[in-house]
Amino acid sequence: MSELKIKSGLAQMLKGGVIMDVVNPEQAIIAEKAGACAVMALERIPADMRKSGQVCRMSDPKMIKDIMASVSIPVMAKVRIGHFVEAQILQALEVDYIDESEVLTPADWEHHIKKNEYNVPFVCGAKNLGEALRRIDEGAAMIRTKGEAGTGDVSEAVKHITKIKGEIAEYKKTLKTDEEIKAKAKELRVPTELLMQVLEQGKLPVVNFAAGGVATPADAALLMQLGCEGVFVGSGIFKSSNPEKLAKAIVEATTHYNDAAKLLQVSSDLGDLMGGISVESIKQSDKRLAEIGW
Amino acid sequence: MGKCVGILALQGAFIEHIQHLEKCITENKYDLSVTTVKTPEELEICDALIIPGGESTSMSLIAQRTGMYPHLLKFVHDPSKAIWGTCAGLIYLSKELSNEKELVKPLNLLKVKVKRNAFGRQAQSFIKDCDFSSFIPDCTDFPTVFIRAPVIETILDPQEVLPLYTLDNGLIVAATQGKNILATSFHPELAENDSRFHDWFIKKFVLKQL
Repeated sequence: MSELKIKSGLAQMLKGGVIMDVVNPEQAIIAEKAGACAVMALERIPADMRKSGQVCRMSDPKMIKDIMASVSIPVMAKVRIGHFVEAQILQALEVDYIDESEVLTPADWEHHIKKNEYNVPFVCGAKNLGEALRRIDEGAAMIRTKGEAGTGDVSEAVKHITKIKGEIAEYKKTLKTDEEIKAKAKELRVPTELLMQVLEQGKLPVVNFAAGGVATPADAALLMQLGCEGVFVGSGIFKSSNPEKLAKAIVEATTHYNDAAKLLQVSSDLGDLMGGISVESIKQSDKRLAEIGW
Repeated sequence: MGKCVGILALQGAFIEHIQHLEKCITENKYDLSVTTVKTPEELEICDALIIPGGESTSMSLIAQRTGMYPHLLKFVHDPSKAIWGTCAGLIYLSKELSNEKELVKPLNLLKVKVKRNAFGRQAQSFIKDCDFSSFIPDCTDFPTVFIRAPVIETILDPQEVLPLYTLDNGLIVAATQGKNILATSFHPELAENDSRFHDWFIKKFVLKQL
């Protein structure tokens, strides 16, 4: 218990902040100077992984280490779903957080990593309450929406946070007896006590960030207003024409997400934003990353 | 009208502080209100300010960029205000940083030199029961959470700044300055169902009952 406190505690400190994907120390420094509360170190941003069609793995630890040395804020890095050895390696490297991520190619199509067995905290993606609670039960100390990474299309992230909040509200209302809660927990494949805790508190027991398709200050504020506690920005920033300005604008929009005058100010004159690719246009193919994981 | 305690809400774990303060207010019927502070107008109505844990670089940069810095500077240097910084808040209140200081413009209040990430990275974060009974009556077992915590490396003005709590290895992790300023490198706001530290802050620094 006390160990989870240390792991989830760091996520609590990141709240109200923006975590930015970076591929080298130069980008990490830009992110830190823009006010990012953490960076996600990876070799290729999701937009480029999406295009490549190649197997995407944990980044070179040397590159992650260089980024860790270049900034004072926490550094996160991704491992493939179920790849517990990549996780062992990143724990040995002492990254501050591991993202067991559907953005990379899964190593195990049946099992996620037993995250309780690690000292390093994990963040995992979720599309709905059951998925979020299964990851928390495995030891995730932070949840993020899956969204649809690398698209610049915010609609999937909106769908996922709305779904999670909606399910909590619905079950709070409809599940009256212990038996009903127990049956629902069984259906969601999670411990009854965990579901009870969520229903009591009206929220997940760990911090819940937005991720996947965030490309503008307005996107970040939208997800904050919908109830996310902070924002991951992947491809959006460094695929735009003025990353420094956009990064700062998204940080300010995340702080002042309820202040339309401030949002107007930071949304103006940002140059060319990430072109992106709409989720509708990729629905036909099998390339939707959010479908990965269970 | 009762006093108002503000919690700086530019980034970080400000909601946790609010929950503890509200619990103290409800249980003890203090004539106090609590508000988040993101703008000069919100700061204006406060009699006390808590600067929460978070990322000190983010907080500092956002404060400068949004024009909050001069208002915060004026507020914290007003001796009639009660001030408390936790973790990033300690860094932000300090006069001097000994490392990783390029992006943080501190509020130059607490006359100490602070070392950021003094224990190391997240891998070195820890939780420990601490005996605070020398200043909080009977509080012998407070669950004290240190996350990528800073420490007070040097007290620059020993007349004004008094160490409040020192770890067994000699590191200063809490201090007071005068009668109105408190700084902790740990996170009392992360203690679960335990608001003793917040209650002590209210009584001693905000209401000045102790």
